[in-house]
Amino acid sequence: MPEWSEHLRPRLARLRLSPEREAEIIEELSQHLDQRYDELRSGGTSDAEAHRLAIEELLEPEALANYMRPLRQAAAPRPITPGAPSGFLFRGLWQDLRYAARMLRKQPGFAVAAVLTLALGIGANSAIFALVEATLLRPLPFPDPERLVMVWERTEASPRGRVAPLNLVDWNNRNRTFDLIAGFAPNVGGMVMSGADGTAETVTRQWVTAGFFDALGVGAVAGRTFLPSEDIQQARAVVLSEAFWRARFDADPSVVGTDIRLDGSPWTVVGVVPNEAQVLGRTSIWALLSIQGAPPAARSAYVFEAIGRLKRGVTIEAGQADMAAIAEGLAQEFPQTNKGSDVALEPLHDAVIGGELRRTSILFLGVVGFVLLICCANVANLLLTRATVRARELAIRFALGADRRRVIRQLLAESVLLAMIGGALGLAVGAVIVKVAPAVIPEGLLPAAVTLTFDLHVVSFCTAAALLVGLLFGLAPAWQASEIALTHALTSDSRTTTRRGGRLRSVLVAGEVATAVLLLFGAGLLLRTLLAVESVDRGYRAESVLTMILDPLGSRYRTDASELQFYQAVEHEVAALPGVRGVAWASTLPLGRSYQGPSFFEIVGDPPAAESQRPTADYQIISPSYFRTLDLPIVAGRGFDGGDLPESPQVCIVSEAFVRGYLQGRSPLGLRVAVRPTEFADATPDVREIVGVARQVKGRPDETEDLVQIYVPLAQNTPGDIFMVVRPASGRAEALARSVRAAIARVDKEQLVSVRDVMTLDEVAWGATARHRFRAVLVMAFAGLALVLAMVGMFGMLAYSVQQRVREFGVRRALGATTRDVLRLVAASAMHVIAAGAIVGLALSMVLGRLLATMLFGVEPLDPTTFACVALVLALTAIVSIAGPAWRATRVDPAVALRSE
Amino acid sequence: MLDRELKKGSAELIILSIVEPRARHGYEISKLIETRSAGQLKFHVASLYPLLYRLEERGWLQGRWVEKPGQRRRRFYSLTAEGRRVLGRQRHTWKTFVEAMRLITGVDNA
Repeated sequence: MPEWSEHLRPRLARLRLSPEREAEIIEELSQHLDQRYDELRSGGTSDAEAHRLAIEELLEPEALANYMRPLRQAAAPRPITPGAPSGFLFRGLWQDLRYAARMLRKQPGFAVAAVLTLALGIGANSAIFALVEATLLRPLPFPDPERLVMVWERTEASPRGRVAPLNLVDWNNRNRTFDLIAGFAPNVGGMVMSGADGTAETVTRQWVTAGFFDALGVGAVAGRTFLPSEDIQQARAVVLSEAFWRARFDADPSVVGTDIRLDGSPWTVVGVVPNEAQVLGRTSIWALLSIQGAPPAARSAYVFEAIGRLKRGVTIEAGQADMAAIAEGLAQEFPQTNKGSDVALEPLHDAVIGGELRRTSILFLGVVGFVLLICCANVANLLLTRATVRARELAIRFALGADRRRVIRQLLAESVLLAMIGGALGLAVGAVIVKVAPAVIPEGLLPAAVTLTFDLHVVSFCTAAALLVGLLFGLAPAWQASEIALTHALTSDSRTTTRRGGRLRSVLVAGEVATAVLLLFGAGLLLRTLLAVESVDRGYRAESVLTMILDPLGSRYRTDASELQFYQAVEHEVAALPGVRGVAWASTLPLGRSYQGPSFFEIVGDPPAAESQRPTADYQIISPSYFRTLDLPIVAGRGFDGGDLPESPQVCIVSEAFVRGYLQGRSPLGLRVAVRPTEFADATPDVREIVGVARQVKGRPDETEDLVQIYVPLAQNTPGDIFMVVRPASGRAEALARSVRAAIARVDKEQLVSVRDVMTLDEVAWGATARHRFRAVLVMAFAGLALVLAMVGMFGMLAYSVQQRVREFGVRRALGATTRDVLRLVAASAMHVIAAGAIVGLALSMVLGRLLATMLFGVEPLDPTTFACVALVLALTAIVSIAGPAWRATRVDPAVALRSE
Repeated sequence: MLDRELKKGSAELIILSIVEPRARHGYEISKLIETRSAGQLKFHVASLYPLLYRLEERGWLQGRWVEKPGQRRRRFYSLTAEGRRVLGRQRHTWKTFVEAMRLITGVDNA
């Protein structure tokens, strides 16, 4: 026999085993190799060849040698070039711009104010545009993306249900409107990929049908995608994602055609596809799932989400009609499974982006658009003021023979220059926002497919916005200035010119006020929604509760019994800590993510519901002390107790929504429920007797329909990881974290348990309301900005008009007007403007409220309290902005004012 | 939960089920995997033994050296009581998913 140990020893060296253990392993493996060697020789292989083959088992191809190579970052962000190239068509324009630059330098205060205002407006707009571009405008990275749709099985219970494979096959065979319909099974976990050296790693995997990539229109980077024939042959074939291929196989094209070991079986790598294919869920590997010739029972295995590619020129409506007819036919052929089941098509882009994100994007775009308008109005106001002041300068230019168009162009050049500088700065502001945004945006709001980038589209948008804004806010002042100068050239002082310019400024300020009111109202509604979701009755009464996940990983806790024993030991240890009032276990936290999603159930004895309409409940595993610890009342029957053991009768507790929704007035106690402990419809159900009813607990803070909950005792279904909840006797629960961890360590001496996600129930609730908070805070920030800008505009307008009317006030004072009269005079002129703006703003708010309806919770779109608050805020800020100029007006000394004439 | 269980993989399940009826040594286990899967599944020395040792460390398998007169001693693996429970549990978990898959394909390829 050959000596194997020389081959084995070096491979084991790095494991640093004890000498005895190493000797044992070498002995055992040598025997294995001996036997293999014998077997090969008895099969006619030569000694040398048998030796080589046996050794080969130790040295499998090096396919995975590189697998620990660090992951490379995909796409690096593109560099941002602030400003934009500007091709000027006329030399005169260039001259104008240089002149404008000189003028602005002469008045740095004005220039800085205007540029900053514009930078804020354009910056906010470009950042929000980046979001809109990513969610609404950027097409999916597939050819003819508008032809791609999600195909759902629609039933009364679920409008977007998963698809059974045999239906998928029939849909493909019978339809006339699709090129292809394919399925994929998202979120079914990973596969264990084993390497030549015995190492194993888990890789993410998505099951797909053969037509998946063809339907998407994704071609292979290397090799090919799945073939229809592979479906029929039930081939074990996988396609790798490009990122995985690069990271693990160093982008080696020869890996195509070879086998890799997944879950111990060889799978042939047929190709590599670009990362775009991950839009429908991130994964390293796509494994082929054959569905041709599936047995009849497969008509009720709802495992797929389906995508379809419509034939060229076919509308989604036509596809829908075609599929509806097919669904009807199938319902007649297979009433057992397909009765009441229809087909729903949804554009793939909509399905990926989601309605909520779309609405949020549009909301933000509207909001920042208005902010930009206010910025423009303010700058226009500044320019108007300056135009009047510069009337004399312009008049001289006319007198020297300048034509009017030339003067307007010159004034426009100034505003465009301002806008371009503001735009360039705004671009920088926007880039910063986009860079910071991912850290601020609540997790899960943006799907994986959406990445915020500050790309060429955003830069062009920004440039276009700046130019437009420059022309928009420059045109009116320029026109007016030239008119004033033309008609009154050198003839008078500025007094006579105020009337007309004043009216335009009033309209602008009123517009600003209207916009600010509109935004304030929207922010108010969103704030009220946030308050409503935050103060929603969570169902439990405990104020401060500490939670953490305990996940026993090691070999000590390998069965339900040993895990349960461990949980009980920890509970005992923690309960004994000073300052602890209660300890319990739960698989799902109130307002936290559901443990395993909806579970099908039926009440034993009730006529079975049609397969497509079976009710579902949130399946929660808890320990007996759970209700007591959270102070969650049992409203009927009993809670769990120490008598509910694995062997004793299987029991459960249901929530109030269960009783209301499914019992039609019967008493729940004693009824039996068959509930499936997994989300699969075909899992074997556990039959459990209802022994109690617990008070309803919120599943989501903004749920409009109570979540049906079924609680199961920990002893009768012990999960591999679970939340511990600890309630302090008094004070803050966070303070217990240290001592609780120490107590766990006392039980888990070998540190085989992973303890993570330590937080309080309030933090869980905080996370659940993150979306609402994000929206409310962002819109409030913009509304606040708008309000400040509007009031600055108001202040500027009043201050200017008071200055213009100094003489008038002087005369009035001389004729006996009191301070009060003057105050009233100034305030009245301001109030007209504010009132006009407020009325228009409130009228628009009524429209806005309706548009916002889908984002609101616990507040009516026309909420009177919000109206009242907006009015109050407006009044207070108006007083602040009016106070200064009005005070100044009252200080006018009649003698000084009249002498200046 | 299902995800977590699935990530543990099915290779373990195969080995546990092979030693379920009686104790077997490593070479036999590797041959049985191959035979039962009609040659489709192959565990080599480098992948099989680390897995066996891991299962042993977890207490699901127990390895014992058995000496027979006139033969070299051999290491036999048998299922422990814990291993039996784990097997039952893993089978159940797998069944939920695999059942769906089996409904589709008629074979066990999950």
